[in-house]
Amino acid sequence: MSESIVRYSSRSRARAIKSFLSNLLGHAGAQLGLLCLVFFLVLSAVPNILVGPLETVATATGDFLVPPSSQHLLGTDEVGRDVLNLVVHGARISLTIALLATVISLVVGTTVGIIAGYYGGRVDVWLMRLTDFFFVMPSFVLALVITPVVLEVMGRGREILGFRPSLFVILVVIGITSWAFVARIVRSQTLSLKERTFIDRARVVGSSNLSIMVRHILPNLVPQIAANGALVVAGAIYVETSLSFLGLGDPLQPSWGTLLSLAQRAGAASTGAWWYLGAPGLCALAVSLSFVLVGNALDDTFNPRQRVIP
Amino acid sequence: MTNLSQDKASLLEVDGLSVEYRLKGVSLRAIDRVSFALQAGEAVGLVGESGSGKTTTAMAIAGLLSPNARVSGGQVRYRGNLLSIDNDAAMRPHRWTETSVVFQGAMNALNPVHRIIKQIAEPCILKLGMSRAEATARAREVLELVGIPTDRGTAYPHELSGGMRQRVMIAMALACRPSIIIGDEPTTALDVITQAQILKLLGKLRSQLNLALILITHDLSVVAESCDRVMIMYAGRIVEDGTVAEIFAKPKHPYTRLLIESIPNPASGIRIIRPIPGDPPNLMNRPSGCAFHPRCPSATGVCTTEVPSLEKFGWGRVACHLHRSSQEGRVAVHA
Amino acid sequence: MPDTSDILSLESLKVHFPIQGGLFDRVLGRSAGAVRAADGVDLNIGRGEIVALVGESGSGKTTVGRVITKLAQPTGGRLLFEGRDMTSAKGFSALRPYRRRVQMIFQDAYQALNPRHTVFDSVAEPLRSLRLVKNHAQLTERVSEALSAAGLNPPGDFFARFPHELSGGQRQRVVIAGALAVKPELIVADEPVSMLDVSIRAQILQVLVDLRAKHNMALLFITHDLPLAWLIADRIAVLYLGRLVEIGSADDITFNPRHPYTVALRNATPQIRSDASRFELPALQGEVPSAARVPKGCRFHPRCPLAFDRCKEEEPPAIEVGPQHMSACWLPTSGAKAELSTPNLKSADHGSV
Repeated sequence: MSESIVRYSSRSRARAIKSFLSNLLGHAGAQLGLLCLVFFLVLSAVPNILVGPLETVATATGDFLVPPSSQHLLGTDEVGRDVLNLVVHGARISLTIALLATVISLVVGTTVGIIAGYYGGRVDVWLMRLTDFFFVMPSFVLALVITPVVLEVMGRGREILGFRPSLFVILVVIGITSWAFVARIVRSQTLSLKERTFIDRARVVGSSNLSIMVRHILPNLVPQIAANGALVVAGAIYVETSLSFLGLGDPLQPSWGTLLSLAQRAGAASTGAWWYLGAPGLCALAVSLSFVLVGNALDDTFNPRQRVIP
Repeated sequence: MTNLSQDKASLLEVDGLSVEYRLKGVSLRAIDRVSFALQAGEAVGLVGESGSGKTTTAMAIAGLLSPNARVSGGQVRYRGNLLSIDNDAAMRPHRWTETSVVFQGAMNALNPVHRIIKQIAEPCILKLGMSRAEATARAREVLELVGIPTDRGTAYPHELSGGMRQRVMIAMALACRPSIIIGDEPTTALDVITQAQILKLLGKLRSQLNLALILITHDLSVVAESCDRVMIMYAGRIVEDGTVAEIFAKPKHPYTRLLIESIPNPASGIRIIRPIPGDPPNLMNRPSGCAFHPRCPSATGVCTTEVPSLEKFGWGRVACHLHRSSQEGRVAVHA
Repeated sequence: MPDTSDILSLESLKVHFPIQGGLFDRVLGRSAGAVRAADGVDLNIGRGEIVALVGESGSGKTTVGRVITKLAQPTGGRLLFEGRDMTSAKGFSALRPYRRRVQMIFQDAYQALNPRHTVFDSVAEPLRSLRLVKNHAQLTERVSEALSAAGLNPPGDFFARFPHELSGGQRQRVVIAGALAVKPELIVADEPVSMLDVSIRAQILQVLVDLRAKHNMALLFITHDLPLAWLIADRIAVLYLGRLVEIGSADDITFNPRHPYTVALRNATPQIRSDASRFELPALQGEVPSAARVPKGCRFHPRCPLAFDRCKEEEPPAIEVGPQHMSACWLPTSGAKAELSTPNLKSADHGSV
């Protein structure tokens, strides 16, 4: 009997996943976005195989500010490094920061949102005030204030959890400034889920509050979290690029934003070195846009107006 | 006595009407060759469970089929004229002036931001070309008719109770002086006492205005109290049609009989739960032959293969092989 | 009278929801009043007894059910389970022993099941959270047993199904299976058949009645349908605006109602043989007033065709009008006894079919 159960279950789930994917991929935007994301994920997964190790001033292979050619597909920078090499390695840094920041934001945001929505009352009021505080906190100012403090305390050379301090600061700043958005969405969904009869039933059959939140509310939030998570990543890429551009990045581990900053300081705009500014800029734009496209497609697919929560 | 289908003077004649829904590329036959006639001033109950096609039948008559529905056969005649019920534009002049509908959820059907008198007057302006003043006067008239004090006309829908809102819906339906009113579960959402008030009102209006009433409901006892005639639908077909007195006293179709028996009736004194076995039919997977045969205690071999046609039987009609055989001279053994 | 044989009793149970006043009221320190959902309900349920709680929407019948299942907290009165005061018991671990013995069935089974849980998970949830099983084998056994008792056979076929893959009747059976998996002594059923097709209703009622027969399970059957209550219950309690107006045996309430509201309810209920068993009483006008503005005196007096002066001033207590038959009405004490004391069954053919 148990064998037949397993078969039933996997078949039923497989059917659900299949129909979900076919719905999702029905969106042209989702196709484009996913294609683009796969491309950048491959780049950031194996940069050394694709373009060799990260070039430094010492290992630079070309002349200064050479336009794109067959030797340097995206030209070189002001110290002769290959821009393609820098951009591919930058993808890894940018995406890592954006994805990890999103994880922080989703975990914190979901936890705060569920607790505020589920318990309501005083808990809700205080948690939502906290959320509002983080909601309006400007990430740039926060980063500018925190960075020198962290660098002073830790020293430039040390690592925090495997990250160089300036990257860690960017990661944390993005995380704590973007969770408020997630928390608000999760809270409003939790408020409506809480009124559903299956929550009453869970209480009557003796489930604890924790178990109701984890086993009943959370699974029904997955669509909203997934759709908004994609939008949070897009925002994180944008903030990371901006912060690094302001010079908060780490020159030894250049992200796209750091590259833009270096290019700007090298006078790429005035000397006409369009390749040096354009390559990292377009990459950041493409990845943000892809996440937005995927996020919107997920939202459409899960949209409760088109379909009841399955 | 109700004379069925042959009467030339029928107000409404439905002949062999079939409607299909397209759902995810699959065609579902919601109603299958439904035929009946309605006389002026007659009250007919259309009774069935979910998926029986009672709502589809009524919406088809009113020309309110959803966009994914298609009339796949049959015709509907109103005062002898053919209605193109699947053509929204062609039906527009007919709706509200000849046939109007009272829906179940009065709150959803009313616009929350307009005063009720304005909402009642609106169709008169649009359909009958009345001036605003004439329309408002007409609205006052119908409000009085449904027992709402005219000074309540300036209220907004949310200021009224559920029963009052349902009265407003009836007033709207009456505003353009139709001959047929279709009530789609008009009392289902209401409390028992309010339901009785609304049913009484509908009965009064019917005799006062010589209205024909088609009452869609799942509740046989509501029909027993407010209609002359009842049609029982099952899986998209009419299975029995007859006068209320006759059908409740002597149901012919086994489904009708089991349905009546399953309703608690203190007056009968029988305090036994008598369930109908099995599940309501699934339109995706309609049983062969008579759709009721998997649940029917009297089903025989022929029921599983042949669809019984709806045939005249006594004063009414019934679609059951048991009764067909009795017509052919054999004795039907059931009950 | 709390009887030792009663499994559950409510003593003048009150649930008042405060109304959040506007800013003006709050500044002036004025209370905006309260919605009196339950306003002094006395009710007892014996072991293995089926009691029907009948009322219209807004009568507070659902609130009473929610208090018994500890989904709502009373603001007054007591809730006694086997004589023990459970009124203020709180917290899921403190309530665990209570929940093992009191379960609930809901009106809308589709809403009552988590759309993302399989049938097995839904039925297993009470067994897991109430710690009633030791291992997975035992769990599977109890779940199968419950599904089959609720009429889902063979149970294994349903384990991996999701609620949207079931019919309405099957979903309600899953909810019932979940409730009876813990082998409770009392089930509160809140309008368990009102959303189901007519032909399925009797099947579900049969399951509930069988449970009582097999396990001596008590049932509080909440409904708006008087004939249905008569069919299934031993006793019927009629609720109006948060207070019981009449309670008695199912037959007494149906054939010998003493409270004008019960009579009106009975008269308004559509029946297949409508010419039979109507009582002489003018039809009620208007609708149930809001529970935020409960009338003074007898709360039914503004709509009561038989109301007299005393009804406007004094709230009637429950007065014994027959064996085990109480009615909260001043009529029996007044001179106008004749009006309702001999309910005029127009055709007294009860039982003659």
